[in-house]
This record gives sequence, C-alpha cells and structure tokens, in this order.
Amino acid sequence: MKLEGSHDISAPRQKVWEAFLDPEVLRQALPGCERLEAMGDDEYKATMKIGVAAVKGTFDGKVKLSDKTPPESYRMTVEGSGGPGFVRGSALISLSDIESGTRVSYSADVQVGGLIAGVGQRMLGGVTKMMADKFFGKMGELLHTAA
Amino acid sequence: MATMTVSLTINGVAYRGEAEPRLLLVDFIREVCQLTGTHVGCEHGVCGACTILMNGEPVRSCLTFAVQATGAELSTVEGLAAPDGTLHPLQEAFREHHGLQCGFCTPGVLMTAIYFLRENPAPTEREIREGIAGSLCRCTGYEGIVRAIAAAAPVLAAPR
Amino acid sequence: MKPASFEYVRPGSLDEALDVLHERGDDAKVLAGGQSLVPMMNFRLARPAVLVDLNGLGDLAYIRPANGGLALGAMTRQRTIEKSAVVRERAPLLAEATPLIGHVPIRTRGTIGGSLVHADPAAEYPVVMVALDAEFTLARKGGTRRVAAADFFDTYLSTTIGPDEILTEIRMPSVAPRAAVAFVEISRRHGDFALVAAGTVVDVDGGGRIAEARIALGGVGPRPVRARTAERMLVGQRPTAALLAEAAASVMPDTDPPEDIHASAEYRREMSAVFTRRALTAALAKLGVQL
Repeated sequence: MKLEGSHDISAPRQKVWEAFLDPEVLRQALPGCERLEAMGDDEYKATMKIGVAAVKGTFDGKVKLSDKTPPESYRMTVEGSGGPGFVRGSALISLSDIESGTRVSYSADVQVGGLIAGVGQRMLGGVTKMMADKFFGKMGELLHTAA
Repeated sequence: MATMTVSLTINGVAYRGEAEPRLLLVDFIREVCQLTGTHVGCEHGVCGACTILMNGEPVRSCLTFAVQATGAELSTVEGLAAPDGTLHPLQEAFREHHGLQCGFCTPGVLMTAIYFLRENPAPTEREIREGIAGSLCRCTGYEGIVRAIAAAAPVLAAPR
Repeated sequence: MKPASFEYVRPGSLDEALDVLHERGDDAKVLAGGQSLVPMMNFRLARPAVLVDLNGLGDLAYIRPANGGLALGAMTRQRTIEKSAVVRERAPLLAEATPLIGHVPIRTRGTIGGSLVHADPAAEYPVVMVALDAEFTLARKGGTRRVAAADFFDTYLSTTIGPDEILTEIRMPSVAPRAAVAFVEISRRHGDFALVAAGTVVDVDGGGRIAEARIALGGVGPRPVRARTAERMLVGQRPTAALLAEAAASVMPDTDPPEDIHASAEYRREMSAVFTRRALTAALAKLGVQL
C-alpha cells in the first residue's frame, strides 16, 4: 500500500536532518522499538514490539538508510518479520524549510504479509498510517525537547 | 498450564476428561470424547461447521474453551438419530432432498436447523436462508439444504 | 492453529476479577463472550498470558429500566438483548441493531460489554452507543468511573479502558416517546462485518419540524463517527428529500474509511452518505413522514 503524508516540526532543517539519521533518536521514535543495533553502512538490526490492543507481536528485522542527499532527502527501508506476519517498507523522506521550522514529507510503499494481512486486512491501511503518524509525531516531540 | 477436569454431558451421556485451558471445546468433543461428528472448519467462528447446542442454544464450539463448558449439556449431531439408527426427520429430509454432498458442513447445519425450527416452526424460504446464513457450504449451493429444512419443518411441527 | 498456552482464571465475583487484573492486568485479557477474542487467540494474533473468564459472574448480566432509559450489565448476551421486550421498548436502536450482529450462534455467547471493549470499527454496538450518548461504568480495584461513549472509543480495537479495569454497566438514556429509530448497514453477506453502518434517531414535533436528530456511522474510520454537522442541518427544519440529501452528503468529510478487498475507501465514503440518507428515510417513514 502507498502512504503519503507530512509533518511539520518546529526545528531547523539541519537539526531535523541529523535527528532523522541518528539511530538513538530513531530507536526512541520507531513504535515499539526495543533495540536498534548498528551493523555498519547505515544498516541497523531492529527488534520492534508493535501491535494494536490485544494483537501484539515482536518483529525482528533491519532498518537501512540510503540515497542520502543532505539535508534534503533520504530513503529509509524497513524489513521485519515476526509471529503475526512480515512488514516491508520503503519510504522517501524529504525535508523542506517552512516558516515555523521544517516540513518532513514522506512517500512510502509498505507491504504487509502473513497472518495479520489476511485476517486484519480492513484495518491494515489505517493502522499502518497510525504507526507512521506515531513515528513522525514522536520525532517531532524529541526534536522539540532537544531544541 | 496444568490440565483441569471437565465434566459435561453430550446427548444425555456423561463425559469426563482432562483438558488444558487452551483446549477448544470442539477438540475436547472430538478427541477426548471421541465424537467426531462435529467438524473443525475455519477455527474463527465464520464457517459454522463446529456448531453444537450448549444448554439448548447454538454455539460455535471452536470459540469456546472446554474448561468453560464444564457442567453443560451439549447436543451434537450424533444425538439426532435414534439409538436404533432411525434417522431424525431432519436427517431424513436431508437425505431425500440432497441436503449434503461431502457432508463437512452438515453437522453444523443440522444443529443450527434444529434450533432454528424450534424457534420458527413454520418458516418462509427467506427465513430459512437467513437462518442458515451462518453456515458455509462449498458443495451444494444451499438449494438442497433449504429444500430439506422446508420439508422437515411441518414434520417436526406436527404433534406426535 | 490452536491457541497458545495461558493461565486460566475463573473468578467467582467481580471483586475477585478486579483483584486479578490489579495484579496481572498488563499480561491479562478479559474473556467475555469470546466471539472476537478467541478467533484472535486461535490465530495466535493475541497471546495473553492470563485469561480472566467473566462467564461465572451472573450478576453482570441484567437488563433494567433506569431513569427512563435502560441499564444493561456488560455480560448480557446479545441474544438476550435481541429477544428482550424491554429493550425494544426503551432502547429501540439497540433492538434494531442486534440481529445484524453475525449470526445466532455468535449472539448466544457474544456480550454487549465484550463487543464494546473489543471496539471493532465496523461493529454495530459502538455505533448505537455513540448515537445515543450512552455512558459506561468501568470498575477497577478500589473504585469505579463513568465514561461517556464519545470518550470511550479511541482507535482500531482500542478504547480508553485501563488494563486493570472491567466494563460493568452500560447506561442508555431515555429516548423521546415519539422518536423513531433506524439502523441500516451494508455488507457482502448477511452477518459479515458491515462495510458501512448507520444508526439514527429522529423526532418530529407537532408542527412537522425535526425536533431531534442523532446520526452515528460505523465502518468509516477507526471508531464510530457522530455526524453532528448533519444533525445540526436537520434540527428545526421540515424533512424534505433535498434536506436529507444535503445532510447525508455532509457526513462524508468526517469519514476516513479503510480500503480492503471488499470495498474501496471511496466506495465506503459514498456509502456513508447513502446509508445516512436511508437510515433517516426509514426512521421518518416510521413517523409517517413520506418524502
């Protein structure tokens, strides 16, 4: 599924750029992320415990940052699998200046498969969007406190 | 978790067995009580193959844990025919009107229909169709099932 | 698949149940009718460490008149609600919505409390509660609190109930004696989850003007949508086909419908207007108003 959106963060673009590439910040912002271990080459091993209400699962996977054009855009690729299924997503994240700070726009292609995709199909789009919103919202919060 | 003792009656006969809390009632009936007439279809309550009567009401036995049914009176498809093998009028109607092919959905349909006809002894065709809507059949296209239930209704309603 | 192992607790009283949740709430799941939870457990999508079975709490199943309306115990079976003359009289929208829930075998076990706490975005009962401004009593060890339906439903399968709380009672306010209700929905097959559901209460005064209008929608977002813009458009006006069409169209911007193999988001958005109009038309017809 395709996801698109944008979040405005009241922090200067350079700071936002650095935060979005900082694994320590990413670990705090990625929903349910318990571990983000650097493997080198902008690749990280991740353990994420995500879910909605009673449907929770632990996903093990990789997060890779690539195509970096500082401080404008980069690509984040996430891949994870766990009990409830698997998730594969690739998002192009672009930063632009706005009066109050920085606009972070994302255009993502997400595939969810396995059990949750079959059983939870009608909620998948909404929940994925919710997770994306949570991530960007948390990034904004972290940048705010850091500023 | 350790097992718990489950005591219940099925078709008037007392059964007692051990069950882990996670054991589904349908699996207790089939594997512990050795009554395999009740079938496991979708395991999430949609297909109706596991439908039995619990204390007289239709229930998805795949959505109940055996430990929850202790003390209950269950009715399954095995209890429909008479001890000498004479078919229940509903079963007779299914036989006559080709209400089944592979028979997988049939026990659930029969138990649903038993209750349905008890509540609605003179149903219209439309009511029958709605009444069995909770049972999925891959073989018959439902026509024979509807005809069978329609044929059985007056027989069951007649005073005996 | 079969469910993963869990610790099973069957409390004999509400206090006992609340004690368990107080201790183990974060790892525990409450089992009411099981018609939504057990499928998830059978798929292993839900793997609670502790299951607290409320089916021994007969005290939590009741239907009582209260303040002109109704008080229902959370463990009241949907089938009991379906057959209740008191519900038909005092909470007609609940009576009309109930037969649309799944099928009879689901309703013989399913409970009103379980349905509300499970909070499926396409379920009927949350829509009814939001339309009627029902109030819920949540109990925990050491106290209770009341939450309005509008504040209870959060997002997909999530409510504001705490891990140590149990929904014990649902209070439905009185409906104007003259008012008419309608609950309509569309689904691929009878008994399926609704693609879109609409519940409405309409009251027309002696002068032929709409005195009260309540509209709630399900299946068009992460939680029930109360169509207040449409309601405001209707109150004080004479019901006409044009007015209804306008009010129906006004619900669409408030929807954020999902997309799946059964229907696109666009289709669901269109249907939110269509079914709002159908619900209003049906309710008005019961009042003898032909458009």
